[in-house]
Amino acid sequence: MIWKIAWKNIWRNPVRSFVVIGSVTVGVFAGVFAIAFMNGMISQRVESAIDEEISHIQVTGKGFNLNNDPQITIPDISHTLSILDTVKGIRGYVERTIISGMASTASKSAGVQIVGINPAEDQKIFSLNKTIIEGTGGYFTKESKFNLALIGQDLAKELNIIRFLIDSAALSELVKEGVPDRILNKVSRFSGERFKNEKNFDKRMNDILLKEEISEYGQKIKRAAWSFREGSKLTLTFLDKDNNQVGAVFRLTGIYDTRNSIFEMSTIFVKNSDLKRLTGMNEKSFHQVILRLTDVDQTEAVTSELMDILPGLDVSNWKELQPDLAMMTDYVHEIYAFFMAIILAALAFGIVNTMLMVVLERTRELGMLAAIGMNRKKVFSMIMLESVFLSLIGGVTGMALGWIIVHLTARNGINFAQYAEGMEAFGYSAHVYPEIGADFFIMIAVMIILTGILSSVYPALKALKLNPIEAIRTE
Amino acid sequence: MKSYRMAWRNLWRNRRRTLITVASVFFAVLFALLMRSLQLGSYDHMFRNVIESYTGYIQVQNQDFWDDKIIDNVFDFTPELGNLIMEDPNANEIVPRLESFALASSGQVTKGVMVLGIDPEKEAFLSDVRSKLVRYRITEENVNGIKNSDIPDKIKKSLDIFIGNSYTSKTGLILDLGINKDDTATVLPIVEKFTRFANGFISKGIPEALIGNKLSIYLKAAIGDTLVLIGQGYHGTTAAGKYRISGIVKLPTPDIDNKVVYLPVDICQELYNAEGMLTSLAISIKDNHDKEIDRMISSLGLKIVPPMRVIGWREMNKLMINQMDADNKSGIVMIAILYMVIAFGIFGTVLMMTAERRREFGVLVAIGMQKTKLASVVVLEMIYVGMIGIAAGIAVSLPAIMYGFYHPIRLSRELAKMYEDYGLEPIMTFMPPDTYFFWQVVVISAIVIIAVIYPVRKIFKTETVISLKA
Repeated sequence: MIWKIAWKNIWRNPVRSFVVIGSVTVGVFAGVFAIAFMNGMISQRVESAIDEEISHIQVTGKGFNLNNDPQITIPDISHTLSILDTVKGIRGYVERTIISGMASTASKSAGVQIVGINPAEDQKIFSLNKTIIEGTGGYFTKESKFNLALIGQDLAKELNIIRFLIDSAALSELVKEGVPDRILNKVSRFSGERFKNEKNFDKRMNDILLKEEISEYGQKIKRAAWSFREGSKLTLTFLDKDNNQVGAVFRLTGIYDTRNSIFEMSTIFVKNSDLKRLTGMNEKSFHQVILRLTDVDQTEAVTSELMDILPGLDVSNWKELQPDLAMMTDYVHEIYAFFMAIILAALAFGIVNTMLMVVLERTRELGMLAAIGMNRKKVFSMIMLESVFLSLIGGVTGMALGWIIVHLTARNGINFAQYAEGMEAFGYSAHVYPEIGADFFIMIAVMIILTGILSSVYPALKALKLNPIEAIRTE
Repeated sequence: MKSYRMAWRNLWRNRRRTLITVASVFFAVLFALLMRSLQLGSYDHMFRNVIESYTGYIQVQNQDFWDDKIIDNVFDFTPELGNLIMEDPNANEIVPRLESFALASSGQVTKGVMVLGIDPEKEAFLSDVRSKLVRYRITEENVNGIKNSDIPDKIKKSLDIFIGNSYTSKTGLILDLGINKDDTATVLPIVEKFTRFANGFISKGIPEALIGNKLSIYLKAAIGDTLVLIGQGYHGTTAAGKYRISGIVKLPTPDIDNKVVYLPVDICQELYNAEGMLTSLAISIKDNHDKEIDRMISSLGLKIVPPMRVIGWREMNKLMINQMDADNKSGIVMIAILYMVIAFGIFGTVLMMTAERRREFGVLVAIGMQKTKLASVVVLEMIYVGMIGIAAGIAVSLPAIMYGFYHPIRLSRELAKMYEDYGLEPIMTFMPPDTYFFWQVVVISAIVIIAVIYPVRKIFKTETVISLKA
């Protein structure tokens, strides 16, 4: 009965109720969407860290992680691997060789980590092979008599391996993309010209195109003009097993793009066999074994199990290797709850005001109800229910709206291309696919109900304080 | 009665509603101000770390150096060039630098590093390297030493947490160990005695090097060890040299701390076979206002001819500005959501007030009050609500902001580690009042103005007879 009365009461002043419902809807919707956005960004980062960069667990020789001393290898690798085979929860593992060195082209050099991999095995653990930029070659797919290297997009830019060129192929691609003629005419003015790096290309575009034209077509033109020197060479310099400096020429097999500048700038992949030959290292010695688990939630359990059975080695999981990500995933729910709490607190002011108004407006009626025998508990719960209904209607609408928009935007993602450089420097992609879990909606729903209850306490107490006799007399 | 007095009295006719509406504005303003202050404060701090203590606001470089940082893109530093720059009234000092890349090894360990040839004395005008020398270092041995002396248990505990940390000043040491004022006199001398770190500086003509604190840990290098640098010199020559490590510096940006090697500029020129050449001249300036800097950039730009060019701080710190911009926008979105919700609250209040007072409006108009005056009373009422809320928000947040400005929050443990992983100094600073205060006033005023459109329209549409019956 109380439920029914409370529900009907809401619609006695629909305009006022709609203002409250509207404010809750807008607040909850904005909160849901903002959180889905953050959540998408974080889970994309975690996913790419695990899939492309570090996997779940790394086993290294004791002390190797301190400064990647190439002398610290895993002693007796076959024994270690046979132990790993007995552990449950491991989906696969690969061995890697890691050497610090310098990569240089004719014009530039940079400090890098050279990672020796067995490509066929490595792609079972990592999905780096899926991040190869189209047209740059492949993931060690072609056999070659040369040493092969796979490098990151940002490093390729840094070393001037990527260049920009407007040729007939680029122009015809722009036609296909639907770029209007007036732009094509301008762009074709510098056809045949080569740009050593992105900045020079940007400069020239700025000269000939208007700002609005660049913001609309700049990315397309860049993509079309982007080219890469086939079979480019770079020299890798590093120390061999006896600490003598060796240098060797590598040809590019492809360029990968993980949207994490730090990783792209610092990691070069080569074949284990090439690296072994050049450093003179033993075929059977490796610095690192990388494990992929069947279930990410098993990380801690498997880590401690491995620590026990591999006492002479260092075992570290992704949470230890990337504490920032671990912290984010661990506290992410608290952060979202805090964010939501701020919005709901702001909403509560509006609800309190409205409910107060409701009570004052109905002084006479409430007095009457008390006079004919409605007990205080019922009056209290009636007011509280009204407030909860108001917030829930708004909340559910807001959540539904949020859910729909999240799913619509998740299809193609939201691309903040102008912030790509800054975000990728922190390892985050600027192309965000919002994403949100069902558990989050439950949390929000609970928080909304709580807000409704809390903001009705003060007005409801006011209603209880009314003296029925006096209340009936008020006009 | 004057409208403003009438409006003021009307406010207190329904005191509760007024206070709740004021409270909602107060809440939004308080939160927005604290958040903005913290955000803008961190940007400001980052700027100071990078610009005022490293790149400087203006540099002269070889025209290709910025896009292509290789040792071949150098220029001849002639006295004429120096004079030309110093002629500018805003120029304070010129700081010569030769910057390149090399492979550094000490003992068994090797790492790619950034080699910076500096003038040890002139560099004090920009990145005061001398002030960044490590003065105290907490190591396992000296912790054991301190523990045997008579100091409070609390400090012994914090010593264990901070093993491996280095400090460039007493302040950091005191803050981390949590030494309070009363203990300073007794405890600090003991801690200082054990943790003191003997450090030397570099000077021109002597083949010695300073290395970053993190780099020293990575290379397992100590003072007096030999550092070997191998790299590519000017015009394809081989650059190789041996240097004694004379000091260890701790730089606020972990990313640089992990890879920096300072050499005296003449020694560095020798290493790269680039006698008399520089990659950049950073200019220390007297007045750092945007306008003055822009004037200086364009005035120097006319005088400095290829192969050199003038480059300003915006171009040199594009990435950082881009990151700050992205972060700034996300902060603004958060506050916008908050204000949107508050706006609904205010609108709700206005709506209720209008409904409640329909009859009153009718009476006032019937007895001859001009509709414009009545409208202005209602508008004033809402402006009061907004202003009281803003004033209260400022009154509460200002002391907190000023306190935070003078006592920045130093992050510890996991959070600190996270900041360092991103290459940021683990510190949170507040921004003292600035234009962002003004913006809160603008936004709240805009909300109020939009909200009062409804009652004002109602007033002008008031049909006296009908509303009297309401």
